[in-house]
Formats: sequence, structure tokens, C-alpha cells
Amino acid sequence: MMFGACVREKEVAELLRCGHWPHACSVELRAHVADCRACADLVLVTQTFRSARADATALARLEAPGLIWWRAQLRRRNAAIERIGKPILGAQIFALAIILLAAVGLVISQARQGLRWMSWFDEFPGSLHLAALWPATLASFDARFWLLVPILATLALVSGVVVYLASERR
Amino acid sequence: MPWESVIPNLLAGEAQPLACPPMDSEAFAAFYERSARSLWAYLARVSGEPALADDLMQESYVRFLCAAHPDDGEVASRRYLFRIATNLLRDHWRRPRSASIEEIPEEFFAAPGDSVQSDSKAMLGPAMRLLRPRDRQLLWLAYAEGYSHREIAEVTGLASASIRLLLFRARRKIARLLREQSKDDGGRS
Repeated sequence: MMFGACVREKEVAELLRCGHWPHACSVELRAHVADCRACADLVLVTQTFRSARADATALARLEAPGLIWWRAQLRRRNAAIERIGKPILGAQIFALAIILLAAVGLVISQARQGLRWMSWFDEFPGSLHLAALWPATLASFDARFWLLVPILATLALVSGVVVYLASERR
Repeated sequence: MPWESVIPNLLAGEAQPLACPPMDSEAFAAFYERSARSLWAYLARVSGEPALADDLMQESYVRFLCAAHPDDGEVASRRYLFRIATNLLRDHWRRPRSASIEEIPEEFFAAPGDSVQSDSKAMLGPAMRLLRPRDRQLLWLAYAEGYSHREIAEVTGLASASIRLLLFRARRKIARLLREQSKDDGGRS
């Protein structure tokens, strides 16, 4: 005997599985089950669980399979998008790193020249002859103002696009 | 227009190898009809919470459809489904219990007389609650679903050699509890 098990357990389990217990089995086996603790446990537990299973299956509230199917398709699609998005995110991080490196390089090169980088900003509108493009009535405005406006507008546009993309992703 | 709609073929092509769906919606509907009730019974009786069983059953099927499940016929698919459900139950038990009132099953608030309680539930429920979750799973799979030790090992992820001993101990314990309960019920009536 192993772990207090009985050698006739398999026989009893087979009869239970086929639905032959108790009516389609020998009197001798029934007497054995009445005396054997392991076989009696097997019969009691199997019959209780089978009965519980029959009752519970009748109580099940099933959702429409189409809804579950659709939900699974949606999840698979999202997983695919996520997978495709990973290399794009990597490329974005790489591009950002390159831009940061370039910016750091620019700052270092400017620092070596004595941090005179605002001087080009003052001279920039003049070198492009931008003053010729705006009306004479507005000529009194500082030239740097006309350079700042498109820069701020571009920043606002890019921020808008970033916010839109972030909200769409959520 | 979302950018992914511009490249639907690429997305479809990407989705195929991951999910490997051998079932179309009709085959799934048929499989669902045949397996859902027994899966729900397993989840409801092992967890003791019908509302949780509803949630976990849906999640089990969704994961089943999303994963590259074995294409060895319905028996293997069913076993795989039970494995997903078993893992979900285990995750649920590992999570810290919430004290939110929303989380408490409706049965908790029901008056004792107004719930539809079958004899088997009334008899098995209290005994199941006194067992460890793993023992409940093993007993249900073995005696309600009729799985072999090897199949139970596949579903639960336990070593096949230890199933026999664990199952024997769990069976002895629940048989004792059921006998005690039936004695108590007999004494009361």
C-alpha cells in the first residue's frame, strides 16, 4: 500500500468514471468499499464533486462568444501596434540623443569662442535682409522680434502635435 | 486618421505569426459552447466567488485566443484553457485583498434563505473553503473534470510525481470534512 492507498482504487475509479457504481458492480466490491477507507473516500469525493460540477454548470452565465472573440481581436491588434511602435520609439530616442549631442557640441564650440552666440542673433535679420520684407510702417520694431515670432509659432505647433499624439496613444 | 490604418497590411502581417490563430470565430463559438460551462464551474467552485468566475472566464478565453495555443485537438485546447484559468486564479490569490465594497461578491449580502443553493454546493462549499487553494484546484481537476495525474501536472505546473501524494492528502482531508459536515447536518435535523 502506498500513502495508505488501496490496490482496488483503480477498479473503483474506473467504475465511477463509467457510471457503473454502485448498481453495476459486484456485491464483493461494494463490501470492500464499505470497509476500505481509501475506496470509501474515493467514492464519496468523486460523487460529491460530480454532483457539484453538474449543479455549477447549470448555473453558469455565459457571455456571447462573439463578444469574447472581438475582445481578443482587439487585444491582438493592440499588441501588434505595440510591437511595431517599439522600433519607432527606439528611433525617436536615438534621434533625440543625436540632437542633444549636437546641441552640446554647439554649446561647447560657442563656449570656446567666448560665448558670443547672441551676436549672430542680432546680426541674423540684417544678414538675410529681412527688413526689406516687412512694411515700412513696422520698421520701428526690433528686428529680433520678427525672428522670435516664427520660432515661437513653430514651438507652439510642435507642442500641439506632441500633446495630440500623447493623448491619442492614451 | 490614425497612422496604423494607413498600413493595415503590415499590421495584419505582423499579427499572424504571434497569435497563430487556428480557430475562426465559428470554431471558437462551438468550442466555447462545449467548454465554457465546465470552466465556469471550475472557477466558481474553486474560488468560491461566482462574480470572479465570470471575469476570469472571459479573461481566460481572451488569452486563449491571443496565445499560440496547441493545435492538438479539442482535448489539448481544453487543457490549455484550464491552465490559463489556473494561472489567473493563482495570480488573483497572490494579489493583496481589496477591502473595497465593490469587490465583495453579491452572495455575501444575500439573505441566507433567498439564494439558490443546491445540495451539492451547500455540502461542498464549506468543506472547500477549509482547504488550501491548491488542494481545491487539484481535487476539482481530478474528481470533477476527471483529469489524470499527468494532465493535472500540465494544468497546474506542478511536478507529475508530487500530484499523487498531494491529491491523496487533499482527498483524505475533504472526505473527513464532508463526513463531519454530514454528521453535523444529521444531528441538527
